[in-house]
Amino acid sequence: MSGKDDVVDVTDNGIPALQLQGIDMHYGYVRALDAIDFHVAQGEVVGLLGDNGAGKSTLLKVMSGAHRPTGGTIRVHGEEKHFHAPSDATHAGIQMVYQDLALVDALDIATNLNIGREILRKGIFGVLGFVDHKAQRKRSEGELDKLGVRTAAMTRPVEMLSGGQRQVVALARSATRVTGDRNGVLLLDEPTAALGYEQTQQVQALIQRMRDQGIAIVLVTHNFPLATAVCDRIAVLNRGRKVADIATKDTDYDQIVGWVTGARPSMFADA
Amino acid sequence: MSLPTEADGTVAPSTDGATAPAPPAAPAPAGDSASVRGLIFLRDRGIFVLWGLLIVLFAIWCNPFFFQLNNAILIANAASLSAIFAAGVAVGIICGALDLSIPGVAALSSCVTGYMIMTMGLPVWLSLLVGLLLGAFIGFLNGIISLRGFNPIIVTIGMLSITSAAAAIIAGGYTIPGLNVLDFMGTQRYFGIPAPVYIVAGLFIVLTVFLTKTRDGIRLMAVGGNAEAVRRSGIHSDRYRVLAFIISSACAALGGLVTTAVVTEANPSASPGIIFTALTAVALAGVSLQGGRGSLPRVLVGALILATISNGLTIKGVQPFWATGVTGVLLLGSLFLERWISISVSNRLMTSAQASVHTGTR
Repeated sequence: MSGKDDVVDVTDNGIPALQLQGIDMHYGYVRALDAIDFHVAQGEVVGLLGDNGAGKSTLLKVMSGAHRPTGGTIRVHGEEKHFHAPSDATHAGIQMVYQDLALVDALDIATNLNIGREILRKGIFGVLGFVDHKAQRKRSEGELDKLGVRTAAMTRPVEMLSGGQRQVVALARSATRVTGDRNGVLLLDEPTAALGYEQTQQVQALIQRMRDQGIAIVLVTHNFPLATAVCDRIAVLNRGRKVADIATKDTDYDQIVGWVTGARPSMFADA
Repeated sequence: MSLPTEADGTVAPSTDGATAPAPPAAPAPAGDSASVRGLIFLRDRGIFVLWGLLIVLFAIWCNPFFFQLNNAILIANAASLSAIFAAGVAVGIICGALDLSIPGVAALSSCVTGYMIMTMGLPVWLSLLVGLLLGAFIGFLNGIISLRGFNPIIVTIGMLSITSAAAAIIAGGYTIPGLNVLDFMGTQRYFGIPAPVYIVAGLFIVLTVFLTKTRDGIRLMAVGGNAEAVRRSGIHSDRYRVLAFIISSACAALGGLVTTAVVTEANPSASPGIIFTALTAVALAGVSLQGGRGSLPRVLVGALILATISNGLTIKGVQPFWATGVTGVLLLGSLFLERWISISVSNRLMTSAQASVHTGTR
């Protein structure tokens, strides 16, 4: 609960968990991103909308360290960072959940949740690199309980899960990695693209619970109902420019569609 | 033939089984239904059942010669060489790379060790150590060359040629005979059991524990299953690929040395046959060629099944080529069984997953 107080503190100080300023991105002559300003605070869900090719994925890749922007600055908790590789962003507390989930199918849920941060056994076995499976399962169960999702037995291989369950595991894996001593940033790329209605509801509830824990979430999606339901704020990109950045309660579905399609002029008139 | 009927028996109550775990599932995760557990058991342990059936079959058919301790030792001894190579092939495949240089590495290691003992007169332990380390080093080369983006199959075929040529150059084109000093790990028996059986037991215990209990082993399997997932977890997946090649080649070198010890001569000609025998055992064990899955105890049983079949048929005086044919039939049969089981399991799980969503539990 002390983490929760920190969250309030940080947002009150007005320092966003992740802030991008004047991000430019050129591919040869193509200008994929044009002076994008973007920020997300702790405990906030920001939807990033836009048509195909509007630059959502490029912007997300800049945030996750997969692309280096041509210009602009990235700040994490107020500190300027330069990401040379995705591992740098991971180190700074930014986790990306990809559309293809990237789970190891043949391994069980607990192993998938713990890979890269294994608990070793104590004593000589630990020195030899023996993993404490029991402790790992227990930790993962605790983490999933905290998120309010218990999908299946922790020893169930991922390949035997349904699409929604896999999505939950992938989200939980990233969520558990950003909730360290300091709450991090979660980047979600189309988390409901392959899901049915009920599974989408489940993922939506999970996103809300992660926000309540103080995680900053950037949600890229084509699913407008999901975006309006779950996001605190919505940013819209159109042909590499940000054309809208507005609290969800101050806008409506029609306006968003207008910005996405370009039928509605940019909020930022001079841009 | 009793396998499908046994499974059918458990399939019947599946509709009950799918809905049954839903109501109490709210606090605890839903348990798998009995049919799913049965199918998973069949998939994971089916090869043990198959081996048991074969033993019963031959025990009846070849009564009284088959079902005897001495014959069991014979089978274990016959299986040991292919088991060592199969372990190497399996580790490579589990991590996503088929290592075809195994016969060459085996030949090179045995020739180098033979040369060091017979021509240079070096101590046996040093010669064996150099042979093993040389194998590991070739695996390291295979690994770092493959990481440059070249297809591991081609790289290891190239390495197969290089190593077998090197073996022939060292041995001068002939075998190096008279290696009786290696008897202690060849034909020598301890408590009535031949030395290679102990070596195989030790190798499989170490590798099984490594792959299932240790951090590096689990990561190695994960890299074979989905290297991208491992990379995104902030792990250098390349290291584990190289490690798999090193283990694979070290197993090849060990196999070569044990072969040398058994026949008391180092043979520079790399026999591609050993890789196909090893592959058969590995495939029979259900190790997916896509990587990421497989268990070494099953690989060991795969090698034992091959030895059991040829042993039983030999006792009955059946021509050995029949054994090869039977093995092929078994192999194809195991493929069909595995496909059928995976489909059945996913169908069952699909119904149970939907049931739990609709009843409002997670």
